[in-house]
Amino acid sequence: MSENNGKSDIISLSKVGKSFWRGKERLDVLKDLDLTMKEGSFEALMGPSGSGKSTLLNLIAGLDVPTSGSLKVAGSELSQMSEGDRAGFRAANIGFVFQTYNLMPVLTAIENVELPLLLTSLPAADRRKRAETALKLVGLGDRMGHYPRQLSGGQEQRVTIARAIVTDPKIIVADEPTGDLDRDSANDILNLLGRLNTELGKTIVMVTHDPAAAERATVCHRLDKGALAL
Amino acid sequence: MIPISYNVRSLMVRKTTTFATAGGIALVVFVLAAAMMLAAGVKKTMVAGGRPDNAIVTRKGSGAELSSSIENNAVSLILAAPGVKKDETGTPLGSGETVVVIAQEKLGGAAGQVSNVLVRGVPENVLKVRPDVHIVSGRPAKPGTDECIIGKNLVGNYAGMNVGEKFELKKNRPVEVVGVFEAGGSSFESEVWASLETARSSFGRDGLVSSVTVRLESPAAFDRFKATIETDKQLLLEAERETTYYEKQSQATALFVSVLGWVIVVFCMIGATLGAMNTMFAAVAQRKREVGTLRALGFSKFNILTSFVVESVVLTAVGGLVGLIASLLLTFGHVSLMNQASWSEITFSFSATPGILIGAIIAGCSMGIIGGFLPALKAASTSPIEAMRG
Amino acid sequence: MTLFGIAARNIGRNKLRTSLTVAVVAISTLFFIMLRTVVWSWTSASEFAAKDRIATRHKVSFVMQLPKRYAEEIAQMPGVTAVCYANWFGGKDPKDENDFFATIATDPASLLKVYPEIKTSEAEKQAWIGDRRGAMIGDSLAKKKHWKVGDKITLAGSIFPGNWDFNISGIYTTTTTNVDRATVWFHWDYLNESLPERSKDKVGWIVSNISDPGASGRISKAVDAKFDERDLQTITMSEAALNQSFLGMFSAILKAIDLVSVVMIAIMGLIVGNTIAMGVRERTNEYGVLRAIGFLPKHIAQFVLGEALVIGIVGGVVGLGLGYPFVNLGVGRFLEENMGQMFPQFRVQPQIAVMAFGLALGLAIVSAILPARKAASLQVVESLRRVG
Repeated sequence: MSENNGKSDIISLSKVGKSFWRGKERLDVLKDLDLTMKEGSFEALMGPSGSGKSTLLNLIAGLDVPTSGSLKVAGSELSQMSEGDRAGFRAANIGFVFQTYNLMPVLTAIENVELPLLLTSLPAADRRKRAETALKLVGLGDRMGHYPRQLSGGQEQRVTIARAIVTDPKIIVADEPTGDLDRDSANDILNLLGRLNTELGKTIVMVTHDPAAAERATVCHRLDKGALAL
Repeated sequence: MIPISYNVRSLMVRKTTTFATAGGIALVVFVLAAAMMLAAGVKKTMVAGGRPDNAIVTRKGSGAELSSSIENNAVSLILAAPGVKKDETGTPLGSGETVVVIAQEKLGGAAGQVSNVLVRGVPENVLKVRPDVHIVSGRPAKPGTDECIIGKNLVGNYAGMNVGEKFELKKNRPVEVVGVFEAGGSSFESEVWASLETARSSFGRDGLVSSVTVRLESPAAFDRFKATIETDKQLLLEAERETTYYEKQSQATALFVSVLGWVIVVFCMIGATLGAMNTMFAAVAQRKREVGTLRALGFSKFNILTSFVVESVVLTAVGGLVGLIASLLLTFGHVSLMNQASWSEITFSFSATPGILIGAIIAGCSMGIIGGFLPALKAASTSPIEAMRG
Repeated sequence: MTLFGIAARNIGRNKLRTSLTVAVVAISTLFFIMLRTVVWSWTSASEFAAKDRIATRHKVSFVMQLPKRYAEEIAQMPGVTAVCYANWFGGKDPKDENDFFATIATDPASLLKVYPEIKTSEAEKQAWIGDRRGAMIGDSLAKKKHWKVGDKITLAGSIFPGNWDFNISGIYTTTTTNVDRATVWFHWDYLNESLPERSKDKVGWIVSNISDPGASGRISKAVDAKFDERDLQTITMSEAALNQSFLGMFSAILKAIDLVSVVMIAIMGLIVGNTIAMGVRERTNEYGVLRAIGFLPKHIAQFVLGEALVIGIVGGVVGLGLGYPFVNLGVGRFLEENMGQMFPQFRVQPQIAVMAFGLALGLAIVSAILPARKAASLQVVESLRRVG
């Protein structure tokens, strides 16, 4: 872990490659990628479709493992980790925000937020309390008992963000968080992410198409054909 | 019309679901066909024993040979009745027979398991009265000896039931099996035929027979024969055409098998129909967008409705066909059942009649129609705009 | 909120599908109860058979009769406390010849002594013993035929020709399931005195009470040995063995019922498994999200199994709720009245109900195993990509 500007690298990729096989054809989605991200930074990943930005996000989030190279996130070397260990890693370190929100339709807002806490040993009352705090933080203290279908798109995305922070992870990964939203709602969400970054010190990694969204980030990485285009 | 190939391909997209549903239908149709084939087999076996130009005489009210008894002197009166055919020597073709059920040890089952076998004491001329009976191995029994012939279904299934072996009708009264006969698949094939005298003396039935079977000059001669036999109030006898008699004898068992079969089938059919319905509802939900597109392209509600019903019918018809083919394999097998009319065990085979085959297919398809109708109705009532929006 | 709670809620998402699946489970539960009750009813007679009773009949054929003096001789044997003898009469109601019920000639006093489970009032008992033409009839037959004490009835004999008149002296009920409640018992003497000399003094079977149930094998052998050198040999066995041998004759049907039970379970398993699999397919994306936020494959499997368990519980409860009235009030009453010989008692047994409920749960769980494994083995990245 190298020191730089008083902040350490929370994410560091060294010579990371990721290939998929489509039939007999090998697709190199990421090629010998070197990349570091500082703790507490807000970084955007941009690039055309197929540039490998979502694959990179999945690797950082511990959803997938690289074909080659080393990948260190929040102090864990992910490239050799088993799926079970990575699940534990994700539960402890990563909060997820998806383009399509991906809330459980049968659960109310508060229950959706509480969901990740079921993996912890917290007593039920504490779980509920933390979920309430998270929901209030995203400004939905008055919508706790609502089901996802009773909420607007922007509200749903805020519930997702509350779900992402409820376990107090170091890193929040967001895959096109504003992709399905209108401009105003999108701004709300980006403001919220900005606050999480500045006020709570969360490291945020966001994949986006939207230049306006990317502007909010402190750093913007451009990917093209599996390599950094900077 | 929307082409059926669209439905078939849609079914193939959801292979697992399609196979699970069709598999369920296949099992139901299999059970249905098996039960009906067995009931038909029972009927066929029993009725095969009767000839339209034979008449059987029993004591009035006895209902079956087993509980009937007729005095010896009545036998000659019956044989002398008008309508009875005579052989070349002028002797009437009639057979007074005594029928007893004996418990015999069954082979191949649990040790010591016994089952009832019907023993028929028959006179010398029995093969003339029942021309459908042929010796297939060994030889006919010598008249007046303790020899017997057995139906082919008994061979190897009971202790002592093989040519050259012996079994006891009574203590110290062994009979020797000298031949095996075939009788056109009828229930006679599950009987032992011993000489009348041997049977009567072994079972203390001297001077009595259970029934008298006569050949008639023609099937039409029956009415005359019956009238003569039944007008004699002293004899208290009852004459029936052999075919009618055996039909009646099969009723209880055939009814039992088909009632049991139907109860089972109705339950399974309800279950399988609900299963098909579930599958089709899922298919409709999954293809909402597709349906919207089809509607937008100009297909009518009726087209959509028919298409989904057809898809459901294809699904169940395939299952039904598989079940039916599997059930046809049963026709190579046999089943031994207690016949309720004679309290003896008779070997039945599964008999596939055209009616059963058609019925099974109809049952399979109707599960498809009933199960597919509501989902199809739902699909047809989808508004195209809403559906395309997702 | 628990994982199981969420699974239970998932079931409410597709109410129609869930109701259909629950209906399938309920129907299979109900059907299973019925089939097993058929087998139980059929076989219970031998389970409940009295241990202190042995039955003697003609060695070779049940249609052949024994001399009545055999009964008297057995009564003299050591270890035998009471003897009763009987003849199958084969009477029919002339108004409805297809209606089958048992009609048996016996000695009233010894019958009631040997079969203490046949219950009637003391007054009816005395009336029956005192009336040569008296008959004692089972309560389920009386109900079906609308026969009352004091009625005169006429039966046509199928084995013993003619019309026979009886006075109904009493109606019995039973305390155990091994005695038919649709039998007409009447005086053996009444039958015997009407028979021609040659057929007189014969009995179809002899039932004896013995003082020591453990000695039933030894006494049975002794009885058979006693008559071995006479012209008619006997075979004697315990009541349980007799019932067993009777059941053995129907073994093909019992086997068929067992087979059908299995086939039915397979059908229902396919249907339920299919439904669960459809749910899993539709929820692939959600399972991906759960995996992403840190849930393990085993949690996903528990989710799916939890859903199945709820379906099993609800289906089982509904099935039992339908099964009790359906069997006890519907089918059961019909069978007891019309086929009392085979099904003396046709009621849902607690152990069958428990078994059926267990089957509903088991069926749901087992059929969910494959879908659950499939859901658990989903690749996270793949399943997140699939929408809806």
